[in-house]
Order: sequence, then structure tokens, then C-alpha cells
Amino acid sequence: MENVLSLVPVLIKMAIVVGVLLLLPLPLTWLERKIAAHIQQRPGPMRVGWHGLLQPLADAIKLLTKEDHIPAEADRMLFSIAPVVALVPPFLVFVAIPIGDPIQMFGTEIALSISDLNVGLLFILAVSGIGVFGTILAGWASNSKYAVLGSLRSIAQMISYEIPMGFSVIGVVMLAGSMQLSQIVSSQQGLWNVVVQPIGFFVFFVSGLAEAQRIPFDLPEAEGDLGAGYHTEYSGIRFSLFMLAEYLVVVVLAFLNVLLFFGGWLGGPAFLPATFWLLLKVGFFIWVFMWLRFTFPRYRYDQLMTIGWKLLLPLSLLNILVSGYVML
Amino acid sequence: MARTGVKRSNWIGRVLLVDLLAGLRLTLGYMVSKTVTHHYPDYEKWVPYQRHRGHHFIKTNDEGEVNCVACELCSQICPCDCITVIPFENEKGDRRPKVFDINLARCLYCGLCEDACPADAIKLGQEYEVATHHRGTLVVHLEDLVKAPGKAGNGGVVRPAKLDRNSGLRSVTQTGPKDAGLDWWSRIRRER
Repeated sequence: MENVLSLVPVLIKMAIVVGVLLLLPLPLTWLERKIAAHIQQRPGPMRVGWHGLLQPLADAIKLLTKEDHIPAEADRMLFSIAPVVALVPPFLVFVAIPIGDPIQMFGTEIALSISDLNVGLLFILAVSGIGVFGTILAGWASNSKYAVLGSLRSIAQMISYEIPMGFSVIGVVMLAGSMQLSQIVSSQQGLWNVVVQPIGFFVFFVSGLAEAQRIPFDLPEAEGDLGAGYHTEYSGIRFSLFMLAEYLVVVVLAFLNVLLFFGGWLGGPAFLPATFWLLLKVGFFIWVFMWLRFTFPRYRYDQLMTIGWKLLLPLSLLNILVSGYVML
Repeated sequence: MARTGVKRSNWIGRVLLVDLLAGLRLTLGYMVSKTVTHHYPDYEKWVPYQRHRGHHFIKTNDEGEVNCVACELCSQICPCDCITVIPFENEKGDRRPKVFDINLARCLYCGLCEDACPADAIKLGQEYEVATHHRGTLVVHLEDLVKAPGKAGNGGVVRPAKLDRNSGLRSVTQTGPKDAGLDWWSRIRRER
């Protein structure tokens, strides 16, 4: 009985996380369209609801009722599991992401994360690495040249950007002496990591953009040259699963940027709840990602590789070297 | 920046990503600037210039009679044969049109009928919303033409308007305090 009762808060937290994550892309698509629109000096969606706020709902209904088409020559099994493979990692990552210090409720201490793993950061990097399998499988299973090209690009991109991304957080881990995200946050009491580790932040931010496959690194789904890249052949609900995964990866990256380099829930004004302050920062990063998207053009394939191997990797190694030297 | 010639930064600028930051600053400026889009058909409507050739209208004289003398010059000159005029003699013995139909689906709004008209009757006005669900309603008759809006007095502005959902989804300009209308060109952000 004891054990069953201790499961209840975990189950409730899981339900909340899954529910929020499933609904989160709706306001995010609205936000993205609004930001795109205002950069291009137009108001964006205006007609469905107040300032187009209900537009994502209308779009969701449209997507869900559309024909779910599978190409004749496609590998049907892989084709149908690929969106799920793409969608699971961003959900899994949120297991380890804390959104605040533990709070007291109903006489017990409740941690504001599903599980504050002591290797949280490693878990997140490893799990989010799986996400690219969704892209690869989708491109391969579609049996279409654009889709395969898109997934080939995403493989190359992942190899060149996972490494600097992993290296760039080592400096943070060295400073905190732990891979537990809550400890990394509490080690930033007083001084945020972005001040101590500006190079690390830069490398993490850029390789994070590449990891999320967003402009200027959105080669796997380059609309201009590949149709829609790996999800060219997808439609209806499967396509919407890919969209969901894409937006969630952006949210994950915003969370990681804030937790690792911008002090997580620390440093807010006193009247704001810590969690709210964290979410504010996360929202800011999501906005920055969207702002970048509508400012920069896409890098060429070779430029992408050059940046990854010749710029970010040496920079991240240098960052480790310098922080190691300073700490010793 | 693009118009005044691209300035390339030196290596310090490139290391500090000055070019990228300049781009970001530009888009941020646009993000907080006003939009230039007409909120048509919900709140605003473009009133065309006086020279605009839109939906035809027929002028009437002081007694409320149409100016048209049914000479059929307009239907003769019409390059797409969209005007049908059948004359008759009214009580006063004047020659007037019994039927004056214009098929707007065929009309190319060239304005030759306006030029040909000897009686200052047929004109092309400011109305440009002629979309409809039925092709038949595109054939307009004499009474429609008399009622149709004339040339825009002070055109070339954006006026507050409202979408009229009852009578065939037209955007109707509102006469109100902002009667003069808004100079749309003033919304456009120009770089010096």
C-alpha cells in the first residue's frame, strides 16, 4: 500500500507533463506565425478567434481529418512507426527536467520533476540523440528521393553537432561537479554560467539550433531545395506528429539553455514564483529561436559541416581546456 | 543597408558575429514596427483612386431620369460584347433604355463605353467587390447600375470598414470621424 501511494504523485506529474506537452505546440505554432508575420510587417492570423488565437485549433482539426496517405512503394511498417520514434524522445527528455526547487504540499515534499536523475544531463543528451532515428526512418521508409536526401543530411548534421554539443556542456558539469540538473542550477547561485562560460553557451546554442533542425540549420527539411525533406510524403496525423516533435525539441532546447547557462529558476525578482521565472526565460529562448528562424538564410551543406567540425568542435575543446585550467 | 552597398566587416567583426547581429537588429526593428497590411475586409477597406475603373454606374439627371439615351454606342464599342441595350420611347417622347444589361463576367473594365458615351451616362465607378456564388448575378441591370456607387471622391486612402455578412459578404466603408481616410503610404517604413 505504501508503494502504491508513493506512485500517485509521479503518475499525476506524468499526466500533467504529457498533457501540457501535447497541447504546447498549439500556442507555439500561433506564436511562430505571429513572429514571422510581424517581421514581415503583416499581422498574421487574425480571423479565427481574438488575433487568430484559435487558428492552431482550426489547423489541428484540419490536419487530423485529412487523408492519412502512405505511398504505394513505402515500407509501411517503418513509415508508420517513424513519427512515433521522432515523438517519443522529446517526451522522455522531460522526465529529467526540473522546473523548480521541491515544494511542500499535503505534508510531503514534492520534487518539481518526474525524476531528478543524478545523470540527468547525460540522459537528456542520449535520449534526444535518439530523436534523429525518427528522421532517418521516415526518410528511408518513404521511398522518395527528397525524403532520403533529407534524412542523409540529418545524419551528417547530427554527427557533426552532437559532439560539440556534448563537449560544450562538459564545462558546466565541471563547474557544478554533477550531472544532476537541479545541482547544476543550484551551482549557479550568484553567477550564471553564461558569464563564466560564454564560449560554452555559444557552442551549445548553435549546436542546439542544429540539433533542433531549425533555420539556419534546417537542411533535413529544407523547403526550398527538398520539398519538405524527410516528411515530404507524410500527411494528416502522422505529419502533425512530426510537427509536434519538432516544436517539443525547441522547447527542450530552450529549457536546457536556461537550466545550464541562465541559472534556471534562480535570480528572478522576489515577487515572481521561481517556476514562473524559469518559464519566462524558456519563453524568451523560444522567441529567440523563432526570431533567428525568420532572420537568417539556410547554410549550405558544406558550410554546415565546416561550422560543425572546424569552428564549434575546436571551440568546445578550447572551452574544456580553459575551464579545466582555471579550476585547477 | 542593402541598398547603400554591403559593408564587409573585418575579422574582428566576423569573430564577434557583427553581420549576424546587424541582421537580427533589423528584423527586431521590423518585429516591433507597425504592420502595413490592410485589415480587409474586417476593419479597413481600400478606397481606390478616382481614375479606378470598377463596377459601372449610370448617372441620372436632376429629375431622377437616367442620362442614357440608348444610343447603343457603348454596346457597339465594347470589345467583349457585354452590354445589351434595348431602347424605347417614354411618355415624354424621349429615347431611353428599356433594358440596359452589363455582363460583368465578360467585361474587361477597359472604360471604352465611358469614352464613347455622348450623354455622360455610363461611367466606371469605385466598386471592386463583384465576387459572387452565381454567375447569373453578374449580369447587372439598369436599376443596379443607377444604384451603384460612383467615382471615389477622395480616393487612394484606407477607410474604416465592416464586413457585411448579411448582403452577400461585402466590406462596407463606415462613415465616421475618420472620414478623410488613412494615407496608407504613411505606414510604409522606409530607410534613409
